[in-house]
Amino acid sequence: MELLEIEDRHLFYSGHAACPGCVEALAMRHILNTLGPDTVAVVPPSCTAIICGAQPCNSLKIPVYQTTLESSAAAASGVRRALDAQGKHDTTVIVMAGDGGTYDIGFQALSSAVERNEDMIYFCFDNEGYMNTGAQKSSATPLYVATGSTPAGKRSKKKNLTEIMAAHEIPYVATATPAHLADLVQKVEKAKSIPGARVITVLIPCLPGWGLPDDAGINAARLAVDTGMFPLYEVEDGQRYTLNQSKKSRPVKDYLMMQKRYRHLTAEELDEIQATVDRSWARLVEKSAHA
Amino acid sequence: MNESATRMLLTGNHAVAWGARLARPKFMACYPITPQTPILEKLTDFQMAGELDAEILTPESEHSAMAACISASLTGVRVFTATSCQGLLLMHEMLHYASGARAPIVMCNVNRTVASPWAFWPDQTDSVSQRDTGWIQLYSESSQESLDTVIQAFRIAERVVNPVLINQDAFYISHALEPVEVPARETVDRYLPPFQPEHVLDPERGESLGNVVSPEMFCQHRKDIGRAMQLAIAAAQESDGEWQRLVGRGYGIIEPYRCEDAELVIATMGSMCGTVRHTVDEMRARGRAVGLLKVRLFRPFPVDALRDALAGIPDVLVLDRNFSPGAGGVLHQELKAALYGMADAPRIHGYLAGVGGVNVPPGKIEEFVDQVQHSEPAIHSVWTG
Amino acid sequence: MSKQAPAIWTTETTEVVKTGSWRVALPAYVNPPAPCHIACPVDGNIAVWIRHIENQSYHDAWLTLIDNNPFPAITGRICHRPCESPCNRGQLDEPVAIRGLERFVGDMALDEGWSFPDAPVAKAETVAIVGGGPAGLAAAFHLRRLGYAVTLFDAQPELGGLLRYGIPRYRLPRIILDAEIRRVLELGVDVRTDTRISTRSDFENLRSEFAAVYIATGASVPKQLPQLDYSQPWVIESASYLEQSNAGVHPRSGARIVVIGGGSAAMDVARTAKRLGKEVTVLSLEAEPLMPAQRDEVLEAKDEGIKLIDGAMLQSVADRPQRGLELSCIKVDFEAGAVSGDFQVTPIADTDFIISADTIVPAIGQDPELSGLQDLLELEGALVRIDEQQQTSRGGFFAGGDLVTLQRFVTVAFGFGKQAATEIDRFLRSGTPARDLPARPQVSIDVINTDYHPREVRAAQQLVPAAERQASFDEVELGLPAGEALLESQRCFSCGNCTFCDNCFYYCPDMAINRETHGYSVNDDYCKGCGLCVRECPTGSIIMRAETR
Repeated sequence: MELLEIEDRHLFYSGHAACPGCVEALAMRHILNTLGPDTVAVVPPSCTAIICGAQPCNSLKIPVYQTTLESSAAAASGVRRALDAQGKHDTTVIVMAGDGGTYDIGFQALSSAVERNEDMIYFCFDNEGYMNTGAQKSSATPLYVATGSTPAGKRSKKKNLTEIMAAHEIPYVATATPAHLADLVQKVEKAKSIPGARVITVLIPCLPGWGLPDDAGINAARLAVDTGMFPLYEVEDGQRYTLNQSKKSRPVKDYLMMQKRYRHLTAEELDEIQATVDRSWARLVEKSAHA
Repeated sequence: MNESATRMLLTGNHAVAWGARLARPKFMACYPITPQTPILEKLTDFQMAGELDAEILTPESEHSAMAACISASLTGVRVFTATSCQGLLLMHEMLHYASGARAPIVMCNVNRTVASPWAFWPDQTDSVSQRDTGWIQLYSESSQESLDTVIQAFRIAERVVNPVLINQDAFYISHALEPVEVPARETVDRYLPPFQPEHVLDPERGESLGNVVSPEMFCQHRKDIGRAMQLAIAAAQESDGEWQRLVGRGYGIIEPYRCEDAELVIATMGSMCGTVRHTVDEMRARGRAVGLLKVRLFRPFPVDALRDALAGIPDVLVLDRNFSPGAGGVLHQELKAALYGMADAPRIHGYLAGVGGVNVPPGKIEEFVDQVQHSEPAIHSVWTG
Repeated sequence: MSKQAPAIWTTETTEVVKTGSWRVALPAYVNPPAPCHIACPVDGNIAVWIRHIENQSYHDAWLTLIDNNPFPAITGRICHRPCESPCNRGQLDEPVAIRGLERFVGDMALDEGWSFPDAPVAKAETVAIVGGGPAGLAAAFHLRRLGYAVTLFDAQPELGGLLRYGIPRYRLPRIILDAEIRRVLELGVDVRTDTRISTRSDFENLRSEFAAVYIATGASVPKQLPQLDYSQPWVIESASYLEQSNAGVHPRSGARIVVIGGGSAAMDVARTAKRLGKEVTVLSLEAEPLMPAQRDEVLEAKDEGIKLIDGAMLQSVADRPQRGLELSCIKVDFEAGAVSGDFQVTPIADTDFIISADTIVPAIGQDPELSGLQDLLELEGALVRIDEQQQTSRGGFFAGGDLVTLQRFVTVAFGFGKQAATEIDRFLRSGTPARDLPARPQVSIDVINTDYHPREVRAAQQLVPAAERQASFDEVELGLPAGEALLESQRCFSCGNCTFCDNCFYYCPDMAINRETHGYSVNDDYCKGCGLCVRECPTGSIIMRAETR
């Protein structure tokens, strides 16, 4: 078993209000400790904002600016430019936003910021729904999932943010999960070393939102990757694809059936999802072969 | 008095750009919209010529522009931006956010009709409908005044730690050429100290902003903003007074013009003041005792100054180039409220004049005066034209 | 008016919020026993020494092993492996080859010439051990380590008991046996071979001379089949057969030998006879899957050309001149009883058959020699009765091994010897017996996160090809090469034995697991009781405990 070795710089404090077992808090812990103290974060309304804490307490040691839901990327651009105007070019500017504030209401500002190749690392904590407001659907919610606003199952597919960001041909786009900590840390370090716009989507299984027990977050993320539902890969400059896993080793059923939000799935729907994943995987393998 | 000031022929927009340039902002985020675009273009020209050392961000919408302005301001740099009508409205959420976050941004708004339907004409509904957002608001009558007010605005904003909105009417001010005295850089540098906020987003300081608050904290914060607004009146007067001392031009927070022994005073804001000033002079020449009360500072509404200025005046005619459906002219409402309960309060008449950009020439204004003088005011604002 | 925190600009941290108040269960970093550990008759700390192998700290592995078992090169060859069937790995793919790994370390110790740490005589009392077989030898080792002087008596010319006189060389080479025993003796043991202690007065004399006496004389009296005439020259008792061949003497027999019995002794006889050129048939009461012999032994015997007739019994023997023996046999249903040693046999009608042979070697088990002891100590059936501290009915007399149990396994005997040392020490110190420790729940596969243990094939047991074993008494089972041993050690889950992988530390969203010098602790100020640390532990060393406040 490969052992983890991640420096813990105590940039994330205990006492935060994340749900027990929340792997978004876990992702924040390791992302912050990898980035280091010379960082400013922009956070919209989201679970991340709740985890940051209530006035006058903060669970992050670095400065955090909480902006409105649509405007994370714009606000981060403002911070970035203001720091640059003061000659502080080494300070890292990051966004930690949910899928709502990234795929939907925040999408416009994000596309604009990356089109300008703003120098920031944008982390999307993708828990596939508006979890902070009680688990309603977002455009990141996958097909057939039951949510607060799609109780019969969502009829539309999940938007592919990674491919959209890759189409903007920004220096670095990647996917990651908190179950694959060494991979996540390595990607954060790599992103930090590249100037320009960098977007990393981190899959966050949400325990109440997806219908998982408190201790299942890591296992769910691992299965998402092993089944190919959330492949780990990187795209540099919109052209060079690197697949970070050599195979997908399990049927999607193993991942889907452990979540309450998929319990109503019919056999036909399950087959359809498997076929879609198989096709997407084959495309990804081909793209990364040409790199 | 004005060491090496320069005289130029400038439109209101270009005058605003010059004012902004002289204030040395470090960050501007702008989205173009008619009739504001020349401001943005002039500023980018200055930057390209190496005459303006600032980050200029051109995001995809005004909402994002204001979002970036707020965070940049809180990261510790002086911020300027400009917009108009739809853009201002799109920023509405962020206007509240800016004042709540105590970000001392200065913004110029070019007053233009608000859709729907689509139109491009002077109308102040866009800015007066933002009067609850916590921004200090000033209204300019000329290109010169616009330039001077932009510079004054930074001093006010940074003193009370509150954002400031300067308004100038579309085309009448924004696009009309005027001779303008552009002060020397050294003058402005003496007038505006470097921006050094008490709190800033900085990894070395470790402070954060935006965490959720309790009801008591929120209430206290609103009181704090209220206090800043109260202090803004004195700050605006002081800034204007100091500017007057430096360059010889001051405008006051209100300007009573030929109101001594006036029988009727016309109260209005923005470019209409120029027309009324002209009308007053003409009518006075024919022996009519009329005056102009120019309202320059609209937020905070200068209640005490207005009560002082209008005490004993028999009739006040408010000319509103704006319309709030279901309530009428906004200056009309605000003035009635401000003067309520005053002993020897004037009769207040409210006319909706120039809404939608309809032209209001001096002759018309004289007609309005004749219509209302000595008569009982209608309760509601009266449509003209 | 009380001072209030400012509404904007945040400077404090959330550490003032003790989220530990949220939880209803708290993880505990413990060391629950692994199933292999519980099953091991010598209480071996198996997961710990396997982890040493994984870290290539072979000497540390050996030191851990010999703490409980001083004979790893012996048990690494012949232990009946009670640890491997409950091995949790077996529920993922195949159990860990624990015995093979033990042999790997034991053999390395012999190659490297490692010796036991010094054990100086530190106590005044001397202990007598009667019987130099497995139980006695183990007791000698452990008593020496506790600082006692030990005198070891054995009736035979050499020590070892069944290890030497019973188990054949192809299973346990003599060079190995001698080296393992010599190492114990090097601690300083007073050895009195060729000395029989058998009568009551022999024992009483010993008792007066020594502070305590440990009796481990084994079971050497053959059980007898009533249907066999043991006075006949064509009946050779199995112990006798093996003693002769192990001494290098060919037992006199005909060409065709029938071995009666299904246990290890029967296999030893059969395979020895085969090597001596005989045609061998084994007649076992039990059906093949139920034969008490180790499965490997049965398979290796069959590979060597031994014919197995299982589930059948001998009814009578006829001695036909010029034709040899005719064994009348019949198929049976064999049912093991509830108590070890009890069974029920039902002949199946119309299944009679004849086996032709020249010699019959019955190997159906042995009983202890009790003639001298029965006046001294209380018996229980054909065994000496002992309590849970191995004390007999007479104070100062302890007994163990085959003398007191029907569990006739070498490792069980080693376990008896080890426990005897502890009990004798306790007896000599204070006389009060030990309190029974509360049973700790063992680690089950459910608490092992097998995601961290990728599937790997178990290291195969290499055997000398059957054709080459024909006339040779060389070892049949080969040891694991170093590379394979290392790979095999990685298959161990390390149940209940933390490997310091830091998973719990890194996977806690609340930073509520602290790294300590020798493990981890839970910060109960902040732990929300989510259980991620428990779920992601690859060894089951953190468990959840409900909390009541």
